[in-house]
Amino acid sequence: MFEQWIQWLPGLLSGLQTSLAVTGLSLLLGLPLGLLFAFGMISRTRILRQTTILIVELGRGIPLLVVLYVVYFGLPDGGIVLESFAAAVVAIAFNTGAYTSEIFRAGLLSVPRGHIEAAQSLGLNWTDEARYIVLPQALRAIVPPLMSYSVIVFQATSLGYAIALPELLNSAYQIGSVTFEFLSVFILAGLIYAALSIVVSRFVDAIHSKTSH
Amino acid sequence: MIDNQQNRTQGAAGTTDAQKAPQLQLKDIHKEFNGNTVLSDISLDVNAGEVVAFIGPSGAGKSTLLRCVNYLETPSSGDLLIDGKPTVKIASKPTRNELMNLRRQVGMVFQSFNLFPHISVLRNVALPQERVLGRSRKEAEERAMELLTRVGLGDKADARPSKCSGGQQQRIAIARALALDPEIMLFDEPTSALDPELGGEVLAVMQELAATGMTMLVVTHEMSFARRVSDRTVFMADGRIVEQGAPEQVFGAPREARTKKFLEAVLER
Repeated sequence: MFEQWIQWLPGLLSGLQTSLAVTGLSLLLGLPLGLLFAFGMISRTRILRQTTILIVELGRGIPLLVVLYVVYFGLPDGGIVLESFAAAVVAIAFNTGAYTSEIFRAGLLSVPRGHIEAAQSLGLNWTDEARYIVLPQALRAIVPPLMSYSVIVFQATSLGYAIALPELLNSAYQIGSVTFEFLSVFILAGLIYAALSIVVSRFVDAIHSKTSH
Repeated sequence: MIDNQQNRTQGAAGTTDAQKAPQLQLKDIHKEFNGNTVLSDISLDVNAGEVVAFIGPSGAGKSTLLRCVNYLETPSSGDLLIDGKPTVKIASKPTRNELMNLRRQVGMVFQSFNLFPHISVLRNVALPQERVLGRSRKEAEERAMELLTRVGLGDKADARPSKCSGGQQQRIAIARALALDPEIMLFDEPTSALDPELGGEVLAVMQELAATGMTMLVVTHEMSFARRVSDRTVFMADGRIVEQGAPEQVFGAPREARTKKFLEAVLER
């Protein structure tokens, strides 16, 4: 079995590369989107707040697979044709933005009201207040849950299989359909997902226990 | 003593010098929270260099009134003038520019200090100068050092605020506000979170500041401070000014029954 695994590994690792690239790009676009949503959700402007909450609720309410289908199969009807890679990034980034907005929001709200009032009473404008006072403090509360969330994003890239994205699960399926060793190859693929996820989770725990005392 | 008292009362009345407007004027400041009136039409003139102490029971609206002066609370209606000029056109709808301008002129010190915990003491005092006044980092840090030394904390410059005692943190907060060269300073129960000894350090700094001629509005439960340092004591209850005058008068011979009742309760303890 192990000989087979070693033989399959190059194919699976190229799939893994795609999975990681999609994960990275989705986070790169999705996290700023989540922060933007968070600011929108705590905005004092009612229309902005309500619009943002609606978008976020939709983003969290619609299953990621459905979003993938809309972007990949649906958008071409509107003249927007994306390759599977780009479609996966767009869909997962949107999903990430919606889900992480809650993490960002909690982080922003964890900054004591008094610090914000102090910043205002000193005459700092809105952007300086966010940049120098709120975000640096909020970041401490935000980073560990965001890293945990990035594990979920990594695992969610396996849904890209459904739009023919050549990612890790897809590579495993290709190998299985040639060798008919589905059990073996899917176990290996699962172990690769798990290995990376566990490494990141351990890392998060380590940061957590380091910053908490 | 009597001379001094007369001077103070005259200064407090502020009507003798007609050509010069009081530095700070509150006109009919009204504040409602969800239909509850917290401040009912408060008017007050404060002259440059005057130290006004606000005393009264909890819930009297003292802190709310103070917070209206730099618009941390937005009044429902009324006018706020500095040097005779209105600061905000529509009381309940301040623009960003109006808020910036107002807050440049008014500094504030809070009960809970509110130092920024993620940066050093020196940066706490220097950062606002750089962002608000556009001073260079070097210039801002020199000024910060000067002020920290003045409040006796030059040696704490590189420490995080959490490594300082409450009294030290409050003195740093005072330095931070002074660094922006305000014309008026607001103190919202600056010693309420401190034990008496540490509170004493803060009161000493405030007394020194008063002596330099800074205009100060102080909400306080420290009756002895109000009595010794203020030029005028304002007694508030139920969202109104019940009585005001020279501290000797308010404490020594209160006119209103409500004032007497309050002073008896706090001074007998």
